[in-house]
Amino acid sequence: MSSKLLGERIKRKEDPRLIQGRSHYVDDIQLCGMLYLAFVRSPHAHAEIKAIHSEAAQKMPGVLAVYTGADLEGRLGLIPCAAGMEGLKVPPHPCLALRRVRYVGEPVAVVVASGRYQAVDAAAQVEVDYEPLPAITDLDKAVSSDSPVIHESLGDNIAFVAKLEGGDWKAVESDASLKVIRQRLVNQRLAPLSMETRGVVASYSPGEDTLTVWSSTQIPHLLKTQLAVMTGMDEARVRVIAPEVGGAFGSKLNVYAEEGVACFVSRQFGKPVKWIESRRENLMATIHGRDQIDDLEIYFRPDGKVMGLKCHILANLGAYHQLLTPAIPTLTALMILGCYNIPAVFVETKGVFTNTMSTDAYRGAGRPEATYIIERVMDMVARELNLDPVEVRLKNFPPPGKDIVLATGVSYDTANYQKTLKKVLTLSGYKKLRREQARLRKKGKYLGIGLSTYVEICAMGPSSRMPAGGWESGTVRVEPTGKVTVLSGTSPHGQGEETSFAQIVAEELGVPYDDVTVYHGDTNQVPMGIGTFGSRTTAVGGTAIYHAAQRIKKKMARLAAVKLGAKPSELVFRDGKIETEDGSKSVKFGEVVGEAYFAKQLPPGLAPGLVENYVFEPPNYTYPFGAHVAVVEIDNETGEVNLRNYFAVDDCGRILNPMLVDGQIHGGLAQGIGQALWEEHVYDENGQLLTGTLMDCAAPRAHQFCWFETANTETRTPVNPLGVKGVGEAGTIGSTPAIVNAVMDALRPLGVRHIDMPLKPEKIWQVLRGGSPQVV
Amino acid sequence: MQAFEYASPRSLQEAIRLLPAQWGPTDVLAGGTDLVSAMKDGISTPQRLVNIKQIAELHRMTFSPRAGLHIGATVTLRELLDDGAVQQHYPGLIQAAEAARSEQLLNMGTVGGELLQRPRCWYYRNGYGLLALRDGKSLVPEGENQYHAILGNAGPAYFVSPSFLAPILIALGATVQLHGPRGARSLPVQKLFVTPTRVGQREHDLAPNEILTEIRVPYRPGVRTAVYEIREKEALDWPLAMAAVALRQEGGVLRDPRVVLGQVAPVPWPSPEAERTLTGKKPSEDLADAAGRAAVAQATPLSKNGYKVQLARIAVKRAILSAVQQGG
Ligand SMILES: Cc1cc2nc3c(=O)[nH]c(=O)nc-3n(C[C@H](O)[C@H](O)[C@H](O)COP(=O)(O)OP(=O)(O)OC[C@H]3O[C@@H](n4cnc5c(N)ncnc54)[C@H](O)[C@@H]3O)c2cc1C
Ligand code: SF4
Repeated sequence: MSSKLLGERIKRKEDPRLIQGRSHYVDDIQLCGMLYLAFVRSPHAHAEIKAIHSEAAQKMPGVLAVYTGADLEGRLGLIPCAAGMEGLKVPPHPCLALRRVRYVGEPVAVVVASGRYQAVDAAAQVEVDYEPLPAITDLDKAVSSDSPVIHESLGDNIAFVAKLEGGDWKAVESDASLKVIRQRLVNQRLAPLSMETRGVVASYSPGEDTLTVWSSTQIPHLLKTQLAVMTGMDEARVRVIAPEVGGAFGSKLNVYAEEGVACFVSRQFGKPVKWIESRRENLMATIHGRDQIDDLEIYFRPDGKVMGLKCHILANLGAYHQLLTPAIPTLTALMILGCYNIPAVFVETKGVFTNTMSTDAYRGAGRPEATYIIERVMDMVARELNLDPVEVRLKNFPPPGKDIVLATGVSYDTANYQKTLKKVLTLSGYKKLRREQARLRKKGKYLGIGLSTYVEICAMGPSSRMPAGGWESGTVRVEPTGKVTVLSGTSPHGQGEETSFAQIVAEELGVPYDDVTVYHGDTNQVPMGIGTFGSRTTAVGGTAIYHAAQRIKKKMARLAAVKLGAKPSELVFRDGKIETEDGSKSVKFGEVVGEAYFAKQLPPGLAPGLVENYVFEPPNYTYPFGAHVAVVEIDNETGEVNLRNYFAVDDCGRILNPMLVDGQIHGGLAQGIGQALWEEHVYDENGQLLTGTLMDCAAPRAHQFCWFETANTETRTPVNPLGVKGVGEAGTIGSTPAIVNAVMDALRPLGVRHIDMPLKPEKIWQVLRGGSPQVV
Repeated sequence: MQAFEYASPRSLQEAIRLLPAQWGPTDVLAGGTDLVSAMKDGISTPQRLVNIKQIAELHRMTFSPRAGLHIGATVTLRELLDDGAVQQHYPGLIQAAEAARSEQLLNMGTVGGELLQRPRCWYYRNGYGLLALRDGKSLVPEGENQYHAILGNAGPAYFVSPSFLAPILIALGATVQLHGPRGARSLPVQKLFVTPTRVGQREHDLAPNEILTEIRVPYRPGVRTAVYEIREKEALDWPLAMAAVALRQEGGVLRDPRVVLGQVAPVPWPSPEAERTLTGKKPSEDLADAAGRAAVAQATPLSKNGYKVQLARIAVKRAILSAVQQGG
């Protein structure tokens, strides 16, 4: 490798057009004769639908049709769930509710009109007679035997019970020298809240019998397959395009009712149909994240070594399964030991139906919950033993190395947890902070220092362990003019892979970075793909492209070798040339490209052209890790938490572009810290969403944060030739416990062990005045 | 949202002619940041909107030491913040307006609309009216009242006045000009706010066919001001409590202190108790603390909003300390 592209701070190729507002999101797509949809949604969390009166709405100006669940039954397929675990109960999930509604915001009917506002106004005129049923929102109640049942055909509200067990529990339980802590942790529900809400344009052409769908999605290829199945169309006639997507955080890793309905309506009318989600719809009817109750038993030695961890997880799945709903909490179980060598583990996960919107993948997806548990565990143990949390962590880390297998059975690719911890302690001036804390405590001031040493599971993932395949495809095509086109089956939506993929290919082929153009997100352009989620895009998708580039190089080297009278293996690609290492024999890149296309003298067995596709199947996940330190001050009079400093040392393997890594870390930290301090998506006991607008739902903004001090270590993974692990979710996964640990550390003199998130000022004030925080 | 007629008159007279003598069928549209969302929620269902942003005289802002500051009703919060005279002579006003941290709101929201925005009480916003009545009984005392009033809450009104600017304007002795079919009248800002006692009564002393045209703030050199507010989520929400303070220091003691609380009662809430505590005393942390305590001594928190009492107390204390530290 000769050029200096990888590892450089290169500005994002995608930014100029986005910043100047000159690109296209779904809502920017205007087609001739377009119709608009508006959904009638349930105001009840749980009710029987007695009747739907749409006559008045049908007569409103511009209205072409109103469809209900009954109209769609048998004509539009159900919303799919890809998670296939043993014994999983899968309730039918129609695009429009049939007979019963099970959460506030569930689509009940759809209005089709020639104007957007006409559709919305008419939807308000559709009257639905409901007979309310008792709503179930509380997890403990939902699993009790006398609870009303949300899906009667399933018998109870428990969708699955999964167990994960490892190690010698007999030894742990019979060891009288061990101490035990029991603690319940609540990991509250959150709204993913991407800047761009969801949206879909479906356009069916009756003559050609083709359906083109623009959707704000993370998974155009998977969506294409599912929409073909739902509509009953020949998949070869369905095309899905993900145009610019304004964020997703996992929430668009899904197949939604509205996407299905838009396709159905477009086929009915033979016209394009548009639906754009409002912010309120986004908060109630786009998947939510987290929402678990974790009951812990921690067994540990007096020296701080943790010997066993038991956890009973109640995972709130919501009313139905979306694409991956039940799979998410199983990631919590998998990662519950974090980066600690705890010899015995037992996790029982119950997936529970409630009268709420489905939960599913939200940045981190099951792993932030795991990290929160294990990092709180480390701090609670330290507190109980009066040890420094650093000491307890060091005692429980496995030694640095490769292929570390923990009691969960998970095999971590490469690890050096000591190194990131050491680095963050230096970066933050940890010892000095502890001294400052002691000084301030004497003055009655509460300064808190919180640690989190996390590990995550990324680069999803080996197909054998993924619900719907974990490979990724990449294509590199050198055009006859020598410019390079790259096609990826991933679907980045803010992460910046147009930049990093171009860096990889330009570096490999020795061509100018600006000569490489990356495309993704169009199923007619990119032959196959899975999508962007699970911090996989560079580690899996980038690797596919890397391999495709190798194939191109192999072919071009053969062509060049003939020209130069050299061996292909002697040739390097650099500075627009293909040449021997010493430069004595050299040919221009473009000349070899011409050779490939003009095909006058191809060596025997070489086909004309320069296009290569590669499908990469990762042999394992990757396990990025890091160490964070948060410093907080508590306002004694108001209970407010002031985030004074945040230090993050992350190891995401090899760094291709530090600017992109920083961007991902900063955004991730904002979301993780947001959960710790402010965010919660709340249903009341009747299943009404209390945080249904941005006025009630606390989405943090830049001014609420301090500057983040970031740094990295680079421990490459052997799982892929690039050595990259993934960084999309790290900030979110690592930061939440750092903040909570910091606040609990600050409040240490007051004798509280735990306060559930978000750590709102009122809860802390209750503690400051000697009350119990849990009454808030 | 139901369909409506839209009028955009260019003169004040024309605008007033377009307004009927009863509430309901017509609404005045300024920036629309409050009104349009109320229309989307069906809380306001006007058949006609009268846009007042085309009326040039409502969009002026002038300052002179003699006349003080005159702010046209449709001056936006952003324009107020960017004005040199305001920055120089009315730092408290800047502090108050800056708290609206959303650039969209600052650019769209007007000063007049800010004073006349409707309460955020979620019962009101969900269609139960200002008095939050269901079957003739208020839902607030036994309901979700964490954001409701802690002062002036003997009933039947429990909502809190949402204006951020009113407390500091009152502390500065500002007045508002109102124009109706029978001409103009002037009111101290405090008098613009009323606690409704019966269904149908508004929280502003404003007739349906009146337009707020101007806010006049006297120039009082030597007066130190400060605003302190505390929010729960620091997001697009309203503070849980705020306090505005204006005072002078003379010979080392405090003179003419004005302390006005916001977000704690159905109207902006001046605190003569706090003012008495401060008058003629040497400023100190203990004095500020005592004034904070005095300000909430009469507070009667509801079942879930005891925390607001603490916050109101601290807001008063910190506003005083900050005003004292500020220059003339
Ligand atoms: C999400 C959100 C967050 C907010 N946060 C803050 C904040 O942090 N700080 C802050 O200061 N404010 C905040 N506000 C309030 C904001 O300042 C007001 O909504 C805004 O100033 C209102 O001005 P407007 O011109 O948009 O009023 P409009 O919505 O146009 O009008 C509001 C009301 O006043 C009436 N009205 C307006 N002008 C006149 C007039 N001249 N004469 C007679 N009647 C009139 C209207 O008919 C209507 O009833 C927030 C508002 C929202 C929606
Ligand atoms: S404030 Fe609401 S409408 Fe405005 S950009 Fe944000 S989400 Fe969209």
